[in-house]
Amino acid sequence: MKRALPFIIILVVLAAVVAVAWSLKESAVSKPPSPAPGAAAPGSSASPTTTASRSIPPGAEPPNAVGPATAVVTLEEFGDFQCPPCGLLHPVLKTMKQEFGDKIRVIYREYPLVPSHPHALSAARAAEAAGQQGKFFEMHDQIFENQKGWDKAFDARPIFESYAQKIGLDMEKYRQDVTSQVVEQRIFQDGKRAHALGVQGTPTVYLNGREVPFQSLEPGKLRVLISNEIAAVGR
Amino acid sequence: MKSQPSAADGMTASPSRRRAILYGSAAVVSLIGVADSVYLTIEHISGRSVRCTIVQGCSTVLSSDYASYRGIPLALVGAVAYFTVFSLATLAAFDYKLAAKLLVPLVAVMLLVTVWLIYLQAFVIEAFCQFCLLSAAVTIVLSIIIFFARRSPG
Repeated sequence: MKRALPFIIILVVLAAVVAVAWSLKESAVSKPPSPAPGAAAPGSSASPTTTASRSIPPGAEPPNAVGPATAVVTLEEFGDFQCPPCGLLHPVLKTMKQEFGDKIRVIYREYPLVPSHPHALSAARAAEAAGQQGKFFEMHDQIFENQKGWDKAFDARPIFESYAQKIGLDMEKYRQDVTSQVVEQRIFQDGKRAHALGVQGTPTVYLNGREVPFQSLEPGKLRVLISNEIAAVGR
Repeated sequence: MKSQPSAADGMTASPSRRRAILYGSAAVVSLIGVADSVYLTIEHISGRSVRCTIVQGCSTVLSSDYASYRGIPLALVGAVAYFTVFSLATLAAFDYKLAAKLLVPLVAVMLLVTVWLIYLQAFVIEAFCQFCLLSAAVTIVLSIIIFFARRSPG
């Protein structure tokens, strides 16, 4: 019996480790998409911002969005310009927009994770300042597509200025807006909405008000989710 | 008259008992490594830590190119390694000589990998994940225990 005891201990511990790992994996991976309180109901063509309940702030108004407000599917992203996975999601959402056209609307919400990402706030300010001249997404694209070019910079603001020049902004207005209260308030309002929704990290995406699991934020799975939603709403 | 066991007797435990205690301790410590690396594996598979969070570090480390090798999460390799250490240390505590011998190269390799991973976090990824650091601490403690267990006479 004594010779068998260590093997019994090993097998019992192995069984316990496998059981715990399995239950942890199930709870982490199979977590169903949770509806965002106050966000658009499934199948609703309205944007989450227009149907926000009293307890969930609407975020910056008007939101930075591409696609018609009457689109069948609204994707609302909470993003951080310095977050690498947000940089990876950027082309995915662009592809979805190209594929589904006016059937989808993509909203970008600011959620800079300061202080982990020291340039995230100045990037958000730069994009919002461009938004004041109607070129939010032009700046958004520049910042994401060149993320590796500025994220290690000591001061990224001159780099964002060069993007502002490149997309043809009025530079005097840009420099005023980038530090303005209006821009600051927009970022703050998006942050308030993120906190109220319980956003834990970036990117977090809501599809018609339901949180999309992080593992589904790749073209194949996202395409299926959008198609299913369009089919469900069109029924 | 029979003498009562004293604290001094514990200090001068027989070599085989001392080894059993050391290997038993190694088995217990390795379970911390198993728990830590299983947690990191689940985080990696679920993608939760790949997302950026307010408490940065683990997401940067786990989303780096070094977090997996050919699709296999490094944390999973760690979990297997720690469980192997647990098994061998348990057997060694019950005086299985071969298990005690096999522990030495295994823990030595784990220590080398740990040094390499700390280097990657400090100088390449430039971010520290506290769970990865806990794993490193476990490996260092295991190395010390195994070193003393092997030096133990008998």
